[in-house]
Amino acid sequence: MNINTILVMTSLLFVTFNSFAHHVLGRPSYSLGEDSNTPPSMQVETQIGEYYVTYMAFPAFPKPGDSGRVNLYASRIDNGLPFNGKVRFKVRDDSFFSSKEEILGVQNIDDGVYRQGFVFKDAGDYIVTAEFESNGEPYVIDFPLRIGEPFPIGPIGLTIFVISLLLLFVNITQRKRLAHVKASQHHQKDSNEQSAGYKP
Amino acid sequence: MVHPGLSAGWVLVVLVSMILLSVWLMRSVPVATRSVNLPVISIFNLPFVGKIIQRIISRPAVITMLRIFAAATFLLVIAAGLFGTQVAERNIATTLTWTLWWSGVVISVFFVGSAWCAICPWDAIATWLVRRRLWKKGSAISSFNIRVPKVIRNIWPALIMFVVLTWLELGYGVTTSPYATALLALLIVVLATISLAVYERKAFCRYFCAVGRTLGAYGGIAPIALRPIDNAVCANCKTLECYNGSNDIEPCPTHLVMGSLKQNTYCTSCGACTQSCPYQNINWQIRNIGDEITYSARPHWDESWFILGLLSLTMFHGFTMMPYWEDWMRQLAYMIGDSGRILTSFSIGMAVAMFIPVLLYSACITWLQYITGKQENWRRIFSAMALSILPLAFAYHIAHNLSHLVRESQGFISVVFNPFGTNTLPLSTHEIHMRHLNPVVDNNIVFALQAILILFGFWMALKILRYRLPQISTSGKPESRLAFMPMLVFISLMSIINLWLLMQPMIMRM
Repeated sequence: MNINTILVMTSLLFVTFNSFAHHVLGRPSYSLGEDSNTPPSMQVETQIGEYYVTYMAFPAFPKPGDSGRVNLYASRIDNGLPFNGKVRFKVRDDSFFSSKEEILGVQNIDDGVYRQGFVFKDAGDYIVTAEFESNGEPYVIDFPLRIGEPFPIGPIGLTIFVISLLLLFVNITQRKRLAHVKASQHHQKDSNEQSAGYKP
Repeated sequence: MVHPGLSAGWVLVVLVSMILLSVWLMRSVPVATRSVNLPVISIFNLPFVGKIIQRIISRPAVITMLRIFAAATFLLVIAAGLFGTQVAERNIATTLTWTLWWSGVVISVFFVGSAWCAICPWDAIATWLVRRRLWKKGSAISSFNIRVPKVIRNIWPALIMFVVLTWLELGYGVTTSPYATALLALLIVVLATISLAVYERKAFCRYFCAVGRTLGAYGGIAPIALRPIDNAVCANCKTLECYNGSNDIEPCPTHLVMGSLKQNTYCTSCGACTQSCPYQNINWQIRNIGDEITYSARPHWDESWFILGLLSLTMFHGFTMMPYWEDWMRQLAYMIGDSGRILTSFSIGMAVAMFIPVLLYSACITWLQYITGKQENWRRIFSAMALSILPLAFAYHIAHNLSHLVRESQGFISVVFNPFGTNTLPLSTHEIHMRHLNPVVDNNIVFALQAILILFGFWMALKILRYRLPQISTSGKPESRLAFMPMLVFISLMSIINLWLLMQPMIMRM
């Protein structure tokens, strides 16, 4: 899938802190703060080594051509201080058949948040990855992102096509077999009658 | 949202009771044989409601109406999944399928056995498409009616399908995606239709359907089943309409002969036998819970693996909902360089989680074989003893699903009125907390039920063990009470793990 059209939108500051390298299980949840008028976001919260990490995407259901943003927050569990460093954001197709990957951008911290903008031209399933290094340890966080609505007609069409084809095949085959059996029986009956009538 | 686990008080009660039951088992005289004249009550003989139930069950139109309703709901689920909002908690596809149905269908076995199979929309839609009849017997030429190949004429395919479903549910996250839920539903309809168009009778129900076989396995514990009223009538029957069908009614979809039916494993409760029997000799009967699995069920190699699979996978469900699980998966993913949805790490974790109970069970069976002087076939002991672990899987499955049902089903009414979730937003933090604070059923009631269920599973397992263990010995009784030890250790260990799992705070889907 083509992801060349991803545009980098934001950039920022940085400093450093220690952490472990880990991955985030890609199970998103959708949320909406009751006192917020921002569009619904998709977010993953997780504990990584000595940090709490929150990863959010706005809007929760971006469409092709829409501007969106990924926010990454990382703060120490022990004292709540934010991670301060450089974070590299990348994106790739979430598909078994594609390993194409592109860099979205490298961001520095801005008011405790790493912000990365994006615009996707094509609908599809993507994995956005945030990477940083601390004390020589690579740090990788993956985040699934769906762009656009999944195509609804395809599955129904495919189901109807498969079932229709199957039923048609079974019916035609069975009717042919039945006709063949009837013809054989008829032929057998004629042969028997002829045999019975034949007197040498 | 993280929900609290079972309180320490209940755990203590269960543990003490388990110790007392274990002492009872070790001190009691093993039951060698027992005449299988188990007490049953015919539902049709119940005062007031008996006749009404009889009329309902013996009319194909009633079952058909229920099937139409189930199929219509199923089509709504597919439409909502494909065209509705992708916010899982606002779409009927995910809420009805995973929160209500998937959680409730196992609980329903406790009350109505495998009745779900009678109105199953997968089978209903496949049957209507292939047979081209809403009810009554379909056309003979609508299917190839090929006999299922011997190599898959068992429930290994159903076990594999159950593993795949669990992987999709917990690994791929199909439960949080209405679209994926709809795709899965469509896929199963296609599989059921192919099976019906190619193989004789309902091979999908008998050999391939993970849900049907799960309900069938648990059906051995259920207090209700279709059985002959008078066995003598069946013994003298020469026409076997239940097996062969009648002019109007389909034969038994899973090749059962009611006169010789001893266990519910393959009964789909379709009621064809009640409708086709010329003597009206088949009806629903109420019996003691667990009598069938204890006394009359026959152990089979494939079914014993299915039972073991049920135990492993239900426990695995519990593990994946613990806060530790994601941390383990992250560490594993880091070790092997997995990324993205970390499905490789999940698959490894799932395989290990499934393998451990199998390994422990096999070790206990080997120990038991050693105690019995290696006179018995390992495979035979393996199959026979698996019956005793079925209640453990059943009890934990219900206890676990109870959490889902009670804690996640809130707000379902609003989804019923807006099944596609049109113009809805994701749950706000306020809504999540309000749901958490106001559960459908009080947490203490849920805890009490869960504790009772685990204790019930343990007691039932010991009861089956007490009856089944002497049967594996050629002498008809175990050589010593020591023979109880291996399975007692396994049953206790699994029950304690199940109890521990219920004690843990659990991350629910919403």
